Amino acid sequence: MKSVNFGIDLGTTNSLIAKYENGKAVVYKNPVGLKETLASVVAYRPERMLVGDKAREYLTKDPVNVFGGFKRKMGTDEKYYVVNIDENVTPVELSSIILKELKKFVPPTEPMEAAVITIPASFDSMQSNATLKAGQEAGFKDVFLLQEPVAACLAFFNETSAKENPAGYWLVYDLGGGTFDVALVKASDEELKIVDHEGNNFLGGMDLDFAIIDSIIVPAIIRQTGIENFNEELRVKYGKFETLYYQVMYYAEEAKKELSQVSDTVIEFSATLDGKAYDFYIPVTRKDLDNIFAPLISETIALLNKVMERNKLSAADINQLVLVGGSTYVPQVREQLAAQTGITLNYAIDPSTAVAVGAAFYAAGKYYEPAVSIGLENDGPLPEITGLPEGITAAVADVDIAISYNRSSRDSEEILLITCTGEYDKKQYRIIRKDGGFDTGLTVLKAKKTEFLPLIPGMANLFTLHVYNETGDEIHSLTNEIAITQGMFNIDGQPLPHDICIEVDDLENKTTKLEVIFERNTLLPQKRTLYREISKTIKKGSADTIIINIIEGDKNSRPSSNLGIGCIEINGKALQSDLVKGSDIEIQIQLDDSRVLSTAVFLVMTQQEFKNVFSLSEKKINISRLKEQYAQLENELGYTIRNFQNNNDDVWEIKASALMAELHTVKEKLFKLKEKDKSDEKYVIAEKITRISQEYDKLGGNERIASLLEEYFTGKDRVQEVINGADFEKDELRKQFQKLEQSETSFINSKNVSVVEGKMRQLEDLYHRALGSTTSFLITVFIEYKTYTREEFKDHNAAKSVIKMADEALQKERYPEFRRHVFSISSLVKSARYNSNIDFKGTGIG
Amino acid sequence: MGKSESFERNFNRLFAVFEEDGFIVQNPTNEAYSDSRTDCEASIAGSLSSKMKITKTLKPIIYRKDNANVQLLQKAVVIVEKT
Repeated sequence: MKSVNFGIDLGTTNSLIAKYENGKAVVYKNPVGLKETLASVVAYRPERMLVGDKAREYLTKDPVNVFGGFKRKMGTDEKYYVVNIDENVTPVELSSIILKELKKFVPPTEPMEAAVITIPASFDSMQSNATLKAGQEAGFKDVFLLQEPVAACLAFFNETSAKENPAGYWLVYDLGGGTFDVALVKASDEELKIVDHEGNNFLGGMDLDFAIIDSIIVPAIIRQTGIENFNEELRVKYGKFETLYYQVMYYAEEAKKELSQVSDTVIEFSATLDGKAYDFYIPVTRKDLDNIFAPLISETIALLNKVMERNKLSAADINQLVLVGGSTYVPQVREQLAAQTGITLNYAIDPSTAVAVGAAFYAAGKYYEPAVSIGLENDGPLPEITGLPEGITAAVADVDIAISYNRSSRDSEEILLITCTGEYDKKQYRIIRKDGGFDTGLTVLKAKKTEFLPLIPGMANLFTLHVYNETGDEIHSLTNEIAITQGMFNIDGQPLPHDICIEVDDLENKTTKLEVIFERNTLLPQKRTLYREISKTIKKGSADTIIINIIEGDKNSRPSSNLGIGCIEINGKALQSDLVKGSDIEIQIQLDDSRVLSTAVFLVMTQQEFKNVFSLSEKKINISRLKEQYAQLENELGYTIRNFQNNNDDVWEIKASALMAELHTVKEKLFKLKEKDKSDEKYVIAEKITRISQEYDKLGGNERIASLLEEYFTGKDRVQEVINGADFEKDELRKQFQKLEQSETSFINSKNVSVVEGKMRQLEDLYHRALGSTTSFLITVFIEYKTYTREEFKDHNAAKSVIKMADEALQKERYPEFRRHVFSISSLVKSARYNSNIDFKGTGIG
Repeated sequence: MGKSESFERNFNRLFAVFEEDGFIVQNPTNEAYSDSRTDCEASIAGSLSSKMKITKTLKPIIYRKDNANVQLLQKAVVIVEKT
């Protein structure tokens, strides 16, 4: 025996499916569009069948082929004639189509052989049996029925603390999109029974929207336009204001939702009426809605009172009023219910999923006999199935499907050709785009069939093709995945051979880094606007500059290893006012088909725009930035050489030293160059620096990266140890450490030496900070300082007095104070341990 | 600078913030409409035809790009008419 676990709310307007799992009920989402609800509407469109929201769109326009609300007709002999298929369908068949669609919400790995399906309290045996039949037609071996108010109560009892004391009467108030039901439920120990119920099949949330249109929107439009008979005209099917009608329906619903949260809102829209354009601005308050909704809500309360009177109950006899249905979110409903009934309201459960959730809870306690015993329940290996007639495998593979399509496209849609051979008659297929934005619906298979698949621009679009047999079960062996890439890797377009990046400041490491603008292989033309902040203040009239340096190359490498393809400099003399650090800068970058680069820079603070167009043949070099790049490369090379020496990597050391020597050959020339130098010298030097930088990146190859990573991870463990033992700022240090850890995947993947080395320097900094936050270390340092001679301090007298204060703090165990003093002493020591590059200027873009 | 120009600037800025977070916003106005477009919730004005077009967009389509996966986050709310 197996527990049923699946619960289905088969509603008049919407349906849902939920599953009980590990003590909780989970509501499944539609893989198409990811909504929990499925509109209970079926549309027979030419050659295909649609189920759900898409079908609902055609409900009023194509009533001979589209059917909704058939739940009300369950158990009658009513048949619907479908023009498009020239056949009759029954409410049971339509319901089974909804149930089959709901089954598709559940991943195919979870077998579904039985389910609990909910029915209204008012359903008679005929209607109940019809629902059972629909369940069986949908392929459920066992179907259990459950009344909706009971399901709502179950959800309520199981998800709130009410289960502690359930005995007595409960009222379930269910106000949905189009229907209203109220049920009186009697609970005793572990049992729930419907005592009485009332309902109105044509009263729901939609009527509240209509009330907003009638009482607020229409009068406002008439006031502004003076159109006579506007109200009557608005509702005419195919009338001249039909577009506006759908528009105001949407705005009315939005206003209703918004006013559930805030006290006032504005309905704002433009429309052309009788050839004249209007802008409408209609303020609405929650108070306005109080009066408008009152008659509708009173109608529901009258039905509720009828149930109470019939059963001779007063408010005091009812435990609580449980609210179900999306429309019970409306505050006026809650307020008026509380005021007019005097019963405690309970809206602890999600009113839109409560019935499905309750059904799932009920399903957890129901059991069925599975068709094939499931492997998990057997301890031993699965029994081998033998002796099957040969026809069984043939039934799956009796149809061959070939699909052909282009794997890449520059169009907004791509054609797919399906060719079938074999027994494809009466089989159906369905193509769904994985993000949920496209669904062909169930479509009849033919020998040849074409589908136009819409594509989201600039990315890989994934589709799945599913094939179903006559009974609507999926033939898994024919499922196919289709990937079509839009806007990339196409022979027609010109892909970028390298990343195009902008050089921005990395203030933390006092260097610059690359930020990708257009990634390698993107198709030209491309346009993008970057929004960044100015990273240093630039005074009007000063010589300080902002440098917008556009670079072509590898996004993971050091800026100096790449080719500069465009550069804009904005100095203080060009500014209309001071440019303050942190103010916004907008950089628009455009690369056209022939790779001509245009940039436009807008400084928000001074409201100035700077434009420049570069062609790739023209280089522009900023000399002071070049000097800075030189210094950085020299620094990094020096650091690497020292590392190689420490690790006895002789071969690499020789190579790195050779690079350093080569770099030094341009030093003198470079530092003599004036900003306005007209000669070719700067290009020659820039070229050389780029080449050395590239060679430095490659030095040691993968082996060096591997050894660096090893060093990084050993260092990391050591840093963590020190942080754990730190006495000050532990949280802050841990945060920094985590930040570094989070960036690990990206810098390891970069496979770039300078990136890894940069991270190692950050790690080293963190190590020193952590040491400086450890009392025992500070004491060691302090003892060392005390042995220093007069000459080793910048100001010996000051040092002496601070040492005295530190001694005192240490004796009295005032450690934070002691730490401050040690820091002060260290700043008085002549040779600072770590001399950072304070004069870093960078690009000015953060 | 004109008021509308600076409005556009600010609007584009907002748009760029969304895009940087991986959101893709699409306005489907003037695109062809068919019953297989599950990226839109449509109200059909006028009579049905095999060639339908989106004439008004009340809410745009929003996708979210997360690494290589794209997910439909918000369906568009549109009005559809025959072309």
